[in-house]
Amino acid sequence: MYTPYLSWLLLAPVILSLAIIAAQRVGWRKMLLVEILHLVSISSALVLGLLVLRGVMTQGSVIALSDWLHVDALAAVFLLIVIVVGFLVGVYSIGYIRNDVKTGELSEDRVSVYYALFSLFLFTMLLVVTANNIIMMWVAVEATTLGSAFLVGVYGHRSSLEAAWKYVIICTVGVAFGLYGTILVYSDAVNFMQQPGAAILWTEIVKNAKALDPTLLKLAFVFVLIGFGTKAGIFPMHAWLPDAHSEAPSPVSALLSAVLLKCALLVIIRFSIILNQGIGPEFTHNIFLVFGALSVASAALFMFVQRDIKRLLAYSSVENIGLIVLGLGIGGAAGVLAALLHTINHSLVKSLMFCTSGNILMKYHTRDLGKVKGMLQAAPFTSLLLMVGALALVGSPPFNIFVSKFSIISAGIHAGHLILMIVCLLFLAVVFAAFLRVISSAVFGELPEGVARGEFKPYILAPVAILMALIVVLGLYLPPQIHLLLNQATQVALVGEPMVDALNLLAERGGAFLPLVQLGIAP
Amino acid sequence: MNPYDLINSLSGLLILTSLLVIETKKIRLSAIYYMVQSLVLVLIFLALATIMHAEQLYWWAASAFITKALLVPYVLNRAQRLMADAEPPKAAVSPSVSLLLAAVSLVISFIVINQLDLKIAAEFRPALAVSVAHFFFGQLCILTQRNLLKQVLGFCLMENGSHLTLALLAHDAPELVEIGIATDAVFGVVIMVVLAVQIYKNLHTLDAASLTSLKG
Repeated sequence: MYTPYLSWLLLAPVILSLAIIAAQRVGWRKMLLVEILHLVSISSALVLGLLVLRGVMTQGSVIALSDWLHVDALAAVFLLIVIVVGFLVGVYSIGYIRNDVKTGELSEDRVSVYYALFSLFLFTMLLVVTANNIIMMWVAVEATTLGSAFLVGVYGHRSSLEAAWKYVIICTVGVAFGLYGTILVYSDAVNFMQQPGAAILWTEIVKNAKALDPTLLKLAFVFVLIGFGTKAGIFPMHAWLPDAHSEAPSPVSALLSAVLLKCALLVIIRFSIILNQGIGPEFTHNIFLVFGALSVASAALFMFVQRDIKRLLAYSSVENIGLIVLGLGIGGAAGVLAALLHTINHSLVKSLMFCTSGNILMKYHTRDLGKVKGMLQAAPFTSLLLMVGALALVGSPPFNIFVSKFSIISAGIHAGHLILMIVCLLFLAVVFAAFLRVISSAVFGELPEGVARGEFKPYILAPVAILMALIVVLGLYLPPQIHLLLNQATQVALVGEPMVDALNLLAERGGAFLPLVQLGIAP
Repeated sequence: MNPYDLINSLSGLLILTSLLVIETKKIRLSAIYYMVQSLVLVLIFLALATIMHAEQLYWWAASAFITKALLVPYVLNRAQRLMADAEPPKAAVSPSVSLLLAAVSLVISFIVINQLDLKIAAEFRPALAVSVAHFFFGQLCILTQRNLLKQVLGFCLMENGSHLTLALLAHDAPELVEIGIATDAVFGVVIMVVLAVQIYKNLHTLDAASLTSLKG
């Protein structure tokens, strides 16, 4: 079904980004005008995105621009993440950036640049999740790097410029591999598809995947995994991630971790669907299992020795991307659905944690966990947010990540990967220890001298509180719309396989250990 | 001369110009070699357009001329002028080592391309292998050169390699795709150069090896 909302969803942030740049020239109340335009930008993305999602829920998929843009249920899961996290983190940005201006970290001119780039970055991520043209998908992923590079280095410090440089170099080199993978698939598809215009569309390639050359497909997928895996933060291509996540302003770190990594992951999933259709799922499953497990293991070890809270969260992103990739490697309806559910859950929790780390920075002016102590006395609500986020990240009930982590492990055991799952659980125990240390030292302990007591303003806390509410709600109850969307998305990923209610399947397998999921899906 | 030989010979020129870009110490001269290489690439696009009757490749040639032969060298030269008094950092490896690595990547590219069942005219296979090798030359430049602007040139070399692969394997893709890729490439260069200038202004160095404050 065609919908004009899809084109407007992409156009709105670009137009508003340009408007923010133009507003920089206005003398009177410049900051306020820029903030209003920023709010209009993130709100329009949220509203138009929800309208697109409604179209997907009722029609199955929506298209625009001669099929170049296409949102099916799979893309809709990622679109939901972009618009919800983009909106909440965008609102949080206002308080955070105001504080940066107050402390002299950012000039007013830089603030305009920040907000203009924020909208541009949002546009590039929306383009990734809505692209149907596979080469345009690559262009969009490359554009996300270019759109966010200055956001990473916006402070202009030695370390932030270094992080921005490494980010641009590693990601452009890495993502270039993705272009080769894309070209290989296209050049093979164009040979037997009469219309070059059709051979470039993902929806058409999937239909004709069986005619593609198996060797070329495998080679292409390796290129795709290296290329887009760099952007997704899969080990060992994750080298840019801890630097960029830690040096960027906290709202940008949240966008990078919660949204950008997932966008790149969607592209990998898209290509894996082509492969699974063309040559069967064994090849992609094995690759996903290896890289997923390596990501979890390496990230857990790095996390254990981290003293910088934002670097700790960055490595936690590598760990969680690893878990999602593991879920994809386990495959089947249960594995894929668990992976998609974890994608949503991790995005919510990680944006909460990066926003909370932003509050810590505003309060303590350091990211060093050795110096951040006694938060309960300094800012009780923020320390509650930190506790909820940390407990959610380690997979503690009743929070959302418990459900998805458990689902991945349960799907893995049922698929016959018992030893691999046990090894993963051991590394997850290391992660548990790392975050427990955060709670015990940062929340409790003696408040250092010179740290002002007092909670943050409501407009700083409100978006993070909404994130916390979503984390708790999704831990206890899965709304029927999300349930339906996840089942439909799993069906897209497993195209051609018989339709099953994957979530019910997971709940049955979870048995007595998954009361919360059962509660969530009860009619 | 056989038209296919012309394409393959021009591809050979790409290798030569790449090595000159990598090994030349002065950025100005490197940018000039890069400009020459881009002109060679434009000629290849024109030749391919004629041989394969692919009209869109004329547009590719035109956009490559504007972006790669004019715009990118201009941006690099301006950046170089802003940082004229910078001490040029040494390469991480000696020229002989990087030449050896380049030769190895060329051989591997030829072997891999010959193994693949690509539905491309056999006559174009050498050019295709060169394009893939060229992509690796760019990476080699980024890995072995410590000068930030040289790393930008490495990105440009990679980009020229993938552009040639695209022209050989996907020239019939819709034009908007090529515009998107070219736009990304130009913005990529501009953003990297602006970052390099900022780094130079703040840290007074162009040496990538001195960017070591972030670890662990």
